[in-house]
Amino acid sequence: MRFIKLHEDVKVPVVKNVVYAAKLIWKADKWLPLGYVIALASEKFFSLFIQNILFLKTLLTVIDSNGDFHAYARYLFLFLVVSVALKALKWYGYYLSHDATKKVLQRLNNQLFEKAYTLDIGCYEDPKFYDNYQRATTVLSDGYFDVLCYDLATIAGDILAFVAVIVTVASIAPMYLLFLLPVLAVFAVETLKSRKVYKRDLEMTTNNRIKAYVKRTMFLRDYSKDMRTSNIFLVLLHRFDAAIKANIKILKEYGVSLFLYSMLSAMCSEFLPVVGTYAFAGYQFIHTRTMTISGFSVVLSAINSVREATWDIAECFDELSQMALFFNNLRDFFDYEPQIRDGGKEAGSFETITFKNVTFRYPGADKNSLENVSFTLRKGETLAIVGINGAGKSTLVKLLMRFYDATAGEILYNGVNVKAYNLESLRGVFAAVFQDYKNFAISVNENVMCRECSAEDKRTAETAMRQSGAWEKISAFPKKGDTVLTREFEEDGAGLSGGENQKVSTARLFARDFEIAVLDEPSSALDPVAEYKMYENLVRATRQKTVVFISHRLSSAVLSDRILVLSGGRIVEEGSHAALMARNGDYAAMFRKQAAAYDGKAGDIDA
Amino acid sequence: MRKKAKRTSMISNILYFVRLMCSISPVFVITQLLWGVVMNLPSRLISVLGVKCMIDIVVSGEELYRLYYAVGVIALVLILQHVLSYTYREFYWNIAKEKLYQGLNQKLYAKAKSLDLEKYDDPEFYNNFILTIETSTDNIQNLLGLVTHYFGSLVSFVAISSILLAIDPICLTIILVVVGVFLPLSRKVGDLQMGRRRDNTRFHRRSDYFQRIFFLQDYTKEVRMHGIKPLLIDRYNDAADDVVKNQSKYWKKISFFYALQESGVQVLGFMFVLPLYLGYCVLVKQSLSAGDFVATFNGACQIAMSVNFLTVWALAQFSERGKMIEKYREFLAGDCKINDGASVAQAAAPQTLEIKNLSFTYSGKEEPTLKNINLTIQPYEKIALVGYNGAGKTTLTNLLLRLYDPTEGEILIGGQNIKDVTVESHKNRFAAVFQDFQTYACTIGENVALDVSVDSARVSQALRHSGFSKDLKQGANTELLREFDDNGVMLSGGESQKMAVARAFYKDCPFAILDEPSANLDPIAEYELNQAMLEAAVHKTVIFISHRLSTTVGADRIYVMENGEIIESGSHQELMAKNGAYAYMFKLQAEKYRQKQPSQDV
Repeated sequence: MRFIKLHEDVKVPVVKNVVYAAKLIWKADKWLPLGYVIALASEKFFSLFIQNILFLKTLLTVIDSNGDFHAYARYLFLFLVVSVALKALKWYGYYLSHDATKKVLQRLNNQLFEKAYTLDIGCYEDPKFYDNYQRATTVLSDGYFDVLCYDLATIAGDILAFVAVIVTVASIAPMYLLFLLPVLAVFAVETLKSRKVYKRDLEMTTNNRIKAYVKRTMFLRDYSKDMRTSNIFLVLLHRFDAAIKANIKILKEYGVSLFLYSMLSAMCSEFLPVVGTYAFAGYQFIHTRTMTISGFSVVLSAINSVREATWDIAECFDELSQMALFFNNLRDFFDYEPQIRDGGKEAGSFETITFKNVTFRYPGADKNSLENVSFTLRKGETLAIVGINGAGKSTLVKLLMRFYDATAGEILYNGVNVKAYNLESLRGVFAAVFQDYKNFAISVNENVMCRECSAEDKRTAETAMRQSGAWEKISAFPKKGDTVLTREFEEDGAGLSGGENQKVSTARLFARDFEIAVLDEPSSALDPVAEYKMYENLVRATRQKTVVFISHRLSSAVLSDRILVLSGGRIVEEGSHAALMARNGDYAAMFRKQAAAYDGKAGDIDA
Repeated sequence: MRKKAKRTSMISNILYFVRLMCSISPVFVITQLLWGVVMNLPSRLISVLGVKCMIDIVVSGEELYRLYYAVGVIALVLILQHVLSYTYREFYWNIAKEKLYQGLNQKLYAKAKSLDLEKYDDPEFYNNFILTIETSTDNIQNLLGLVTHYFGSLVSFVAISSILLAIDPICLTIILVVVGVFLPLSRKVGDLQMGRRRDNTRFHRRSDYFQRIFFLQDYTKEVRMHGIKPLLIDRYNDAADDVVKNQSKYWKKISFFYALQESGVQVLGFMFVLPLYLGYCVLVKQSLSAGDFVATFNGACQIAMSVNFLTVWALAQFSERGKMIEKYREFLAGDCKINDGASVAQAAAPQTLEIKNLSFTYSGKEEPTLKNINLTIQPYEKIALVGYNGAGKTTLTNLLLRLYDPTEGEILIGGQNIKDVTVESHKNRFAAVFQDFQTYACTIGENVALDVSVDSARVSQALRHSGFSKDLKQGANTELLREFDDNGVMLSGGESQKMAVARAFYKDCPFAILDEPSANLDPIAEYELNQAMLEAAVHKTVIFISHRLSTTVGADRIYVMENGEIIESGSHQELMAKNGAYAYMFKLQAEKYRQKQPSQDV
């Protein structure tokens, strides 16, 4: 799992992105935002206005005028009815929104999956795109879409209550508004303060990342052996301590200004209104005798209501502006146009694939990964692509399956540019076993068949696993092929070792009809004997087929009809094993070096 | 009964937590609790006592100038409160918090390092303790905040209750009865919430997994090539449907009980019964003043809030966090099996290494992984361990490094049992390169030295020996990885492996263990590494594990392992002559190189 790195100081338009996200949610299920609006409008109106202000005002007015107890009781009853109704409304609203939130998650996820599926592989390999994409997904996985609705509804509810409170206070004595309004200055002060805090946190990000990194290395299994057998523990601890020290220095630098901002904020939101109201009420009591107890008490409560509403709104705005970046990422993601465009043509039965002067450069790279590569793959042929790490073998395969398009030159399938074909049908021609093979947390059979399995599918899967050598292990499980490959959320699921996992994913190849097998270093996780058996099986499974092998072990190349030797992105030699050995070039040199270890002393014994 | 036991253990966990924090910084804990009071009490007292005082003066109509005193006192209290709490927060708390985090983590790291490695093999322990703690140290701050807030609320609750008691005991009784009557409802809501969260986590685990497949890079190629997308989306939707159902089921109940509880306490209790009584006292009985009315009313709201916080909300939080503390507790209290011996091992020249009747069974497993191993390695020998996956090769090296202790038998170096020396000094005798070696986000010098002090000259020499050829601008001081340095250098798989192998060359010690040192290398690099290894490690005893038998040809002695036993040993020639398991494996691998080679066909 990559960590989300927010180290760039990005500013994005808040309103535009919030509106975009709100529309998306509205389309998914309008009851999420509506439910929150119902809930929060009734909640805020009740707690900030009815309970805090109106209720107290009504009762104190009766008391002030030494009114009738029956009238007083009637008021109470009226409030009881209204308040219970508001409570019911509030919780009905919450029910609606909470009920809708998981549905929204599901619907948005479905949209996201479909879009993600169309993304170019290149997007995933571009760190910047990938970082943005990861951030976009947190809108769903961290529930930001829910927070957005909640924040918007809170702002609406607070404004509603705020207006009611201000009107009430103005009706008592407009003068008091003078003491209430400084509370609004909190917006400005808090914005300034949070900017300062943001700047401070930005300065601390590197240190915090060091802290998080050290923590990970200290606890995770991957690092546990080094921790115990070397002094890397001390190296990391030093880094950790240094990061803390650097953080403390930054905190000290910001102390004074944050203290002043906090004081200013407290002055506006609490000290001025409270002390002002007390002082003014005292003055009126003493000198003009116009102030009533009810008026005074209500104004005091109003301070609390106004302050709460203001804080709330400020917080929501802050949160929304922070999330705007993530919504922006989501929008970019949904708006992204894949570079690999779908052609309309069905890819028919395979005859040839031709690379014609293909040159390829990864986006943002400063040199070509493939340089003017030309060759033709024919039906029934076994082609080995060999070369050292970084020679361009894997890149070539990615182009073959159209994960990327060539920068220059063209790739032809049955004589027609691959871009003309329907992607799905073109990729369906290949059966691929990748170096970084993956299995899924679904049943073993489904992993092999890649679909919901019928009884017949299960038999096919079993046969395929027998061929790939996986069946021995799988048949030992109580549920055999129905065993789910995870213990994460399936109690009777199973975990497999690296070698077994590879055998299961290789079984996919045996289970399906395909035109061309692409084997990317398929035996890397196996021990020598298992590797030998797997190799034999692959040869058998692919006997009548077209096969492309990628390997840096030259031994697998020997049996191929043709070998392409890649070096620095170019095809430096091409031909059968015998031809290349006879030519005595790069391939022959590599092969001899590798074989030397086996041949040297061993040869004497065999002789 | 059980519920009660649960509660006491929760309290003991919270106390443990406070003690743990105190052991790192007592001043921090005490001032933090005081801060909780300073933040909480003054504004609450003002809203109860201040109002009452003002109104009482007005109603009595005498000595009105006292109003100004009251205002003055309120102003002073507020100023003091703010100055105190912000001074504390910005100049002490912020910094002390960072130090507290440091202290706590140092404790946890030291403990994590001293844990027996077998704890990491136990998935239950690993997920339950190590991973939980790794992901939760940031929550410590929230927990401390919760304790502080709790303490502050408790003090305020007691203070305001006493004031109300003084005004009218019946009022306080009404308040407490109302709260008490509806408490079971609050608890019901709390239980429902907990149940919802628990089930939610369970259902989410499945849907999150399928979500991850589409979100992460790892699966992109597989998903595109095998037409598995519809199945995966189906599975996601099955899981997501369960999440939706669960959410709906719980929230129906939760909303209902919440509405009932709030209508009961906030509306029926505090907006009806209490004001009815107060109104009766003021208007009919005339036993209370208008000031008392406002004070009691405000006080009641405060108490309702604190009681709800103190009894339901905070307790739910505490019991949830309590489980986390429980994990810290067990984690920090855990014993180790691998302990120091009495003497200090010499790290100078290699000595004879003997393994006698050694057997080893991983804890929780029935089958032994190693059975009755006997071998003697002379100083400076180059030893190869070969065998199938799971034969026990890596386990054997783990025992040599004392990451585990043997179940039976012993390991002697220079005739001394390795248990009789300190773990630290034993570790210093070995340089180890693991199969799953790691690259650290440190300088390449530190990565090779795996130590604080780095000898740059020797680092570049070690890198040269291992065939590392990447040109580094800042030499040994070049930062690796981009974890937190955007200019950090990323090494390819092969270069990383060479860097890892350089560790064995760098460390000045008598023994080197290399587990599959050439797995990520292409044939030429592998060949060169083999040559370099034999040259550079002249002054060391070397034990290496390999799948590729071509690399073992030059070893002084080869041990072939199968099912935890050594089935053959000897030099390459001896083993080939013997024509046993080794010869079979070797021929399998060599065969492909021989075919079609004219010289062999003859």
